[in-house]
Amino acid sequence: MTRSPSTEPAEPAEFDVRAFARTAHGSLRDDLDLEAVAASPLAPDLVAVLAALATLEGATMAHLRNVLVTNTHKDARVTAFLVTWAFEKFWIADALRAIVDVSAGASTGQGAGSAGGEPPLHTGTAVSGGAASGGRGPVRRAFAGITQGWAVIGAHMAVGLVDDRMLGTAYARVAESSTSATLDAAVARIVAVKERHTRFFEEEVQRRLTASPRAARLARRELRRTAWPLGAAALTAEQRAAFSRFAYGGPEGDARVVELERGIGSLPGMDARTAAIVRRGLAGRRAA
Amino acid sequence: MAFDIDRYTATSVSVNWDDLDLEGFRDDPLPPASLRTLRYMADVEYHTVCYTRDLLTTPSHREADVSAFMTMWNREEFWHGEALAAVLAMHDITVDYDVLKASRLKLGWKDRLDPIKQSVLGSLVGADFVAVHMSWGAANEWSAITAYQRMAELEEHPVLAELLRRIAKQEARHVAFYTSQARERLAASTKAQKVTRFALSRFWAPVGSSINSTEDVRHVMTHLMSGPEGRRAARKVDESISGMPGLQGLTIVQDALDELGVPA
Repeated sequence: MTRSPSTEPAEPAEFDVRAFARTAHGSLRDDLDLEAVAASPLAPDLVAVLAALATLEGATMAHLRNVLVTNTHKDARVTAFLVTWAFEKFWIADALRAIVDVSAGASTGQGAGSAGGEPPLHTGTAVSGGAASGGRGPVRRAFAGITQGWAVIGAHMAVGLVDDRMLGTAYARVAESSTSATLDAAVARIVAVKERHTRFFEEEVQRRLTASPRAARLARRELRRTAWPLGAAALTAEQRAAFSRFAYGGPEGDARVVELERGIGSLPGMDARTAAIVRRGLAGRRAA
Repeated sequence: MAFDIDRYTATSVSVNWDDLDLEGFRDDPLPPASLRTLRYMADVEYHTVCYTRDLLTTPSHREADVSAFMTMWNREEFWHGEALAAVLAMHDITVDYDVLKASRLKLGWKDRLDPIKQSVLGSLVGADFVAVHMSWGAANEWSAITAYQRMAELEEHPVLAELLRRIAKQEARHVAFYTSQARERLAASTKAQKVTRFALSRFWAPVGSSINSTEDVRHVMTHLMSGPEGRRAARKVDESISGMPGLQGLTIVQDALDELGVPA
């Protein structure tokens, strides 16, 4: 027997998932001036960050697995959103990889970019099983999901929101570092695509965590236990460290991390301890 | 020929029906028996994300090509559900998020245990379990194409036929992926062949059986697969399945129809 969803928010959501699905953004390659990137390759450290972002954006299936083994899979509106969310992130990852390939190829004088051809499409991000679970595999999550009930959906929405904000910080840093108009345009395009994801997660977090103390409690626990950012398991330790140094290192990085922490702390039902743990858990952050 | 995942992802689109006159169903509605079948089909399409859940708990999810395919497949199947729901809506049958949620809620404990069962089996069998999933997926997608084709033939409704033709065309690419994956994995491992043969012959049931009542399954199979033409269609699917390495002689679709009492 399944309990009735008594922790579901009373007021209806404003975000139109059907409209979002109907207007999903596919390939972004038509918006990329890859020839300009080939003519003026990006700095290697920037290319490395873009490559890391591509991996992170592409690592949707591992996250979906963790989410769908719980009651979240029963909420058809949420699953409809996640199906399109995964689709859009796939193409964001593809756009980033195209820029990486062309730039790297132009730098070395090899590869599709320098030969004037389009870099190949890349398939999804593969993540090794144990790492993708963050220590909690599907069986464990499925068992936990049995007792968590509907409140777990709020927790998953909180994870999605925090991840979006983390990557948003990274994209802002990329834009600050960029001297390439092409990269600026690409980042702006990607950020525009992701805006709807963030808006959906924000609304769901507000609705669900406000309506249910249990959802808020599960969200606090989930945020504390998640390996950040989502998909970090697909990066090597060196890649994670380099990514975190770039996005969150230095005085400007400190300010961004403080802002992230403050934002997490201000979510419904969230506490300072959770926000602090998430801040400390930013993978590969610069040594204290 | 190997499946070109890059081409598939580059050309994956949601099925479109903007140019089809669905309003025509108001004046020329489908009969109740057909609507019951369409509703079944919509439920199956919308449930893809839940089937994905079971797939993702096994070693399948670790492979980049499989991950890419599932991303596109999920979206395409979702839109198949939307298309069929649009036809149902013309008959004042609502299949919206609340209705789907209610259906998923009714599945109860079996639904909660499925991913656990899949994950445990995947761990026990190992990488060869992926062959089971791919073969199972191939069988399901072949069945789906056959169902849509049979429905189009039986109804003789031009708008419905065109819509189902478009859906079936997309399903054909799903078949191509699953089949190429299954063939490769089965050819590489006799253990995979044995496990897959065992799983299909003992446990496969028509797609949708796990989320619908036996009465609904029987209705749909009887509607679409009765008589000599239905059996011929079933035989073709079985020939495709049994043509894969290690699966010679399997007749899982015809066996399922016999078990349901669908007249030949």
